[in-house]
Amino acid sequence: MSAAALEIKGLRKVFFPGTANQVVALEQIDLAVPQAQFVSIIGSNGSGKSTLLNATAGTFPLTAGSIELDGRDVSKLAEHVRSRFVGRVFQDPRAGTAPSMTIEENLAIALMRCKRSGLRRGVTKQRRALMREQLGPLGMGLEERLGAEVNKLSGGQRQALSLVMSTIAEPRLLLLDEHTAALDPKVAATIMELTGAIVAEKRLTTLMVTHNMELALRWGDRLIMMHGGRIVLDLDAEQKKRLGVSDLIAKFHEVAGEAFAVDRLLLD
Amino acid sequence: MESILTSGLEQGLLYCFMVLGVFITFRVLDFPDLTVDGSLPLGAAVTAALVANGQSPLTATLAGVGAGLCAGVVTGLLHIVLKSGESDATNYGPKLLAGILTMTALYTVNLRVMGRSNTPLLNVETLFDKLAAFLSVSMTNWQTIAALAVLAVLVKYVLDWFLHTEFGLCLQATGDNEQMIRALGTNTDFTRVIGLSLANGLVALSGSLVAQQQGFADVGMGIGTIVAGLAGVIMGEVLFGMRSISWVLFSVVGGSIVYRLLIAVSLRLGIAPTDLKLLTAALVVIALAVPTVRRKVVRA
Repeated sequence: MSAAALEIKGLRKVFFPGTANQVVALEQIDLAVPQAQFVSIIGSNGSGKSTLLNATAGTFPLTAGSIELDGRDVSKLAEHVRSRFVGRVFQDPRAGTAPSMTIEENLAIALMRCKRSGLRRGVTKQRRALMREQLGPLGMGLEERLGAEVNKLSGGQRQALSLVMSTIAEPRLLLLDEHTAALDPKVAATIMELTGAIVAEKRLTTLMVTHNMELALRWGDRLIMMHGGRIVLDLDAEQKKRLGVSDLIAKFHEVAGEAFAVDRLLLD
Repeated sequence: MESILTSGLEQGLLYCFMVLGVFITFRVLDFPDLTVDGSLPLGAAVTAALVANGQSPLTATLAGVGAGLCAGVVTGLLHIVLKSGESDATNYGPKLLAGILTMTALYTVNLRVMGRSNTPLLNVETLFDKLAAFLSVSMTNWQTIAALAVLAVLVKYVLDWFLHTEFGLCLQATGDNEQMIRALGTNTDFTRVIGLSLANGLVALSGSLVAQQQGFADVGMGIGTIVAGLAGVIMGEVLFGMRSISWVLFSVVGGSIVYRLLIAVSLRLGIAPTDLKLLTAALVVIALAVPTVRRKVVRA
């Protein structure tokens, strides 16, 4: 019956349980995301939004609860197994690419995602054609520089490449972890436009974590706000459309119910 | 003069497989693997023990390489246990310890394999004798050099091919950006084990060939292999450049030859063989300092 691409049930994560440093990072998270929905997740530092993304990706074992992808329980699968269906882009543009390898080698690795890597040649003519086709729409001329080492690229170009790498094999789920936060504003806007275009074109189920309220309001067809390891607000596309940044901050005040000058600073 | 050249070339080519192995661990996998001090004599010991027992030198050489492959697997598995789930690629402690443990254990293995600390190969047929008989020529220094050069080129091209296969790209990425390649669905524990195995197989090949060429295997012949290997890698990179993996594989073979030529010259100049390890360490320090100094000079 459930048509959800991603279904998280009763998720709980405690770091360092039973020690003085015990932290409850996620508490009773229930979230169902239909196929092709683009969800923006906002929240302040320590709200659990990145932990939620990492839990979905399988970076660490869960304390309780389950995560299903297309109806299949993946919570026990190792990170590298799960990542065959999950594409990720990280905040640090350096995180998503291998710097001393060439653009085409990086993309070839991304294309092999779903398959067991064998002793066939990694970069083939056929793959190169596909790479050019995928890089062209970026408008950065990367398709003409397939043999260039990635460490010769700018931060924005590297992040655009990371984005293509994480989506080229059409993952079942795309996780964006503040992937424009480390870029300068103009480049960040370009990357966000590209993200929107790729997600729409490939109809990818997407979770995007961000600090930036404006970004969260502008992009995606659902908005989730997290605080203290819980989902405190969940707005659909209609409700979201009627909201401004100031409304969102007011909402945040309301649900969080705490003084949060620091958060406000971050969110503006 | 010619003897310096031939002995330098011959030694450089005999050891170039070891240097390629060190290149794979240090540069490609970003794994400073100390196993090599044990896997070089392991290759020599296994080959010597088998040849001395009347086995064909080809079988004995392949067995030596096989033993090296296994040694690399052991280091890879130890590393998985020692890092205990933590996947911080910049944490070199478990990597160093894994290599040191295997290296130490191999000392005993090598003694056990040979049953003594030194196995002479004087009146037995080696791979070089076999080749001479096959080509019906007498193996002079130059003939040996030519044969080794052919093998080196062959190994270089096979490595080059391997590193550009799908699996090879994943192996390269494991050393270049482990977090990324994990996020792309590769089991980096597995790629690392295969890489370490391959590297130590190459190191053992050098050990096996050196033993057959010098006419004995000795349990102490591996001491300082890692530093000599690094010397070859760094000198190759500094002298011949590193514009691509394909190119740097040649550079590294060149580095191995230059390093052995320098050793041959030092011996001719009257430096005692016992002083060579200190000299090698100093060479590595100098070669490491060159890029830094060059940058400072350019800036000034």
